[in-house]
Order: sequence, then C-alpha cells, then structure tokens
Amino acid sequence: MEIVNHILFYASWALLAAGGLLCVIGAFGLVRFPETYTRMHAAGVIDTGGALLILAGLMLQSGLTLETVKLALIMFFLLFTSPTAGYALARGTWSAGHRPITHTRSDARTDGHSDSAGMTDDG
Amino acid sequence: MTVEEIINIVLLTMLALTAVGIARLRNLFAVTMLSGIYSLLSASIFVVLDAVDVAFTEAAVGAGITTVLLLGTLMLTDREARDGSRANRAGAMIVVVALGGALFYATLDPMMPRFGDPRTPAQTHVAPQYLKDTVPQGSSKEPVKVGIPNVVTTVLASYRGYDTLGETVVIFTAGIAVLLLLGQRRRRRRDTPGQNPSGNKDADRAAGAED
Amino acid sequence: MFWAAMIGILVALALALVRAIAGPTVYDRILAVNSFGTLTVLALSVIGFLMGRPDFLDIALVYALINFIGTIAVLKFLRYGDFARATQADDNDLV
Repeated sequence: MEIVNHILFYASWALLAAGGLLCVIGAFGLVRFPETYTRMHAAGVIDTGGALLILAGLMLQSGLTLETVKLALIMFFLLFTSPTAGYALARGTWSAGHRPITHTRSDARTDGHSDSAGMTDDG
Repeated sequence: MTVEEIINIVLLTMLALTAVGIARLRNLFAVTMLSGIYSLLSASIFVVLDAVDVAFTEAAVGAGITTVLLLGTLMLTDREARDGSRANRAGAMIVVVALGGALFYATLDPMMPRFGDPRTPAQTHVAPQYLKDTVPQGSSKEPVKVGIPNVVTTVLASYRGYDTLGETVVIFTAGIAVLLLLGQRRRRRRDTPGQNPSGNKDADRAAGAED
Repeated sequence: MFWAAMIGILVALALALVRAIAGPTVYDRILAVNSFGTLTVLALSVIGFLMGRPDFLDIALVYALINFIGTIAVLKFLRYGDFARATQADDNDLV
C-alpha cells in the first residue's frame, strides 16, 4: 500500500505541475498571438489541457470522497461548456466580419490587423 | 508570509489593475467585460478570506446578473463613454484621492485591530453568544437554541430575520424598477411603426410579452 | 505541492487580464473573460486544497456554470442586441 500511495503522490504532483504549465502556456498564447482565432486556439489549451490535468491531479489527491465527485462534475461541465462557448465565440467573430489570417508570419506583420479595423476600439 | 497572504496580495494587485482598466477605457462594452473580471477576482478574495457565502453571492450577482443588467443598459445608451469636462474630472480626482487617503490613514491608526485579531469587538461582543446558541458546546448535551447548523445562516435568518426581510424588500423593489426601466425600450419599439413591418408579427410579439 | 499549479494559475490569470484590457476587439475581450472564468474555477479548486478546506469546490462548480451562461448571454447580446429574440432568422448568414 505504501508504494501505491507514493505513486499516487508523484502522479498527482506531475499532473498538477503539468496543468499549471499548460495554463501559463495557453495564457501566454492568449497575449502573444496576432488575432482572435489564433488566441481562441491558445485559450483552448487552458480549457482542455490545463483544466483537465489540474482537476485530475486534485482528484488523485482527494481519493474516493465527495470531493472527487464534485471535481468530476466540474470536469464534466467544462468538457461540455468550453467547446460550446468556443464555437459560439468563433461564430460570433466570423459573423461580425472578422476573417482569420491565412498568410505567413512575415506578411502578418505588415497587414495582419487590417481586416479587424472596423471593430477596434481605443483599448 | 502565509499562503493566504501571498494569494491575497496577488489577487488584490490584479483587482487594482482591473479597476484602473475600468476607469481608463472608454468602450463601455469592454468596461462591462472588465467588471465581470472584477467580480470574479473579488469573489476569489472572499473565498481566501473564508467568506464562502459572500463569494457565492458575488458569483451569482456580480458575474452573472450584473453583467446582464449592464448589457441591458448598454442597449438603451451609447456604447462609448464621453469624457466629462476638465473641471469635473479634476473635482472627481480630488474627491477620490482624498477619500482613498483618508481610508489608508485610518488603517495606520494603532488602535485599529490587526487583521483577524480575536480580540476585536466583532469577535467578543455578540459573536460568542451566537456561537453558543448555535453550535453544541463541547461535552454538554444541551440542545442548541436555534437548530440551524450553519452559523451565518442562523444570524441572517434568525437573529436578524427582520433585517433580512427588509433587505429582501429593497432588492425586490430595485428588481422591479430595473425591469420597468429596461422594459421601456421594448414597448417603445413595438409602438414605432417603422420597426415592425407586419402588423401580424406585432400582435404575436404582444402576445408573447404577456406571459 | 499545490503551489506548482497555483503559481501557474495566478500567472495565467494575470496574462488573461492583460488580454482583457488590451482588446482590441470585443471578441478578444469575451475570450479573455471566458478564459479568466475557467482559470478562476481552477484557482478556487486549488485554493480549497491549499487551505485544507475542499468544501470550497461548491463555489467552483457554480462558477463553471455561471461562466458559460455569461459568455453565451454576452455573445447573444452582441449578435441580436437583445436577450429574448427568437433565432430563426440566422440560418443563412454563415455563408
């Protein structure tokens, strides 16, 4: 039993650390990427990878208790709501007239934001 | 520093940044979004401060209902804020700085109890009585007075029942007032002839508005 | 050891805040607020374990739901200018 506890401890540690790392990576992409669609991709890393790994790590910590059930419920809701919200957001962005950048990075520097000029504000 | 202090400092810093963002931005839609973030952050701070019930309220009211109400208001007004006159802004700045300075000065008072001090009036005055009446004390099998397991609920629903009733009446009145104000627009749009080409649809909508 | 996750989440919260303030379009802000909400759910879960009181998970659960409803409400408002409009007329505009 002792060894199982050890394994669970390190597994949960690894899951939590990986989840935290994925959250940072996703948020970094959210800041650095050039336009809404690519940022949505980065936010997806937080919603799926980060959230699932952290919740799984916490589940391993709490064992077979009510907390695990609650964590599973949160995971379940996130698995349904994030894709739906992402789809709704992408659709809203598209029908507002924004189009994804389809050219290479060197071009994006020069005219990457031209297609979103209509919706910008004084940020 | 304890765990809570570090998390509190980080969260409060982000709260201050969000507040500055809300004050600086002129796009009211962006301000609405940031106010949602503001209430998410303050609810997290309430959780760290162990006020779980307040955090629940903040989650439902701040992040949920307030955002919807603000968006409803945006439908009635402009989406861009206009800058006030220079004199107005200077006056507001003076008031804000003076008030903030006064509040900060008050925290420097040596008579102020430390954060979480068990000897404050709030902890020594009525709180022990509430706890004694609610939570079974140690070995004594005396029946508790109120019979509600949660102390906060005991205070809200029993000791301050009339107070809570008054608060509920106030919120109910405010809710009705907000609904009336926001409902104005829909009624007016239905009355203007240009917006609704077919009278048939108009009647449908009127029927839908009844229920 | 919950610190690893907690630090990651706090850094990510700060970065999402940057995107929410910087914009530039409203959809970027909605995206940032949505990510912020997800990160808040995670932060509340981890804080509960960090402080040894996992009963905080109830709030995280409520947040996970409110966040989604809020995002959909905002998008619906942006698209129709109203929360209560029927959605029959929008089938042909995705072409």
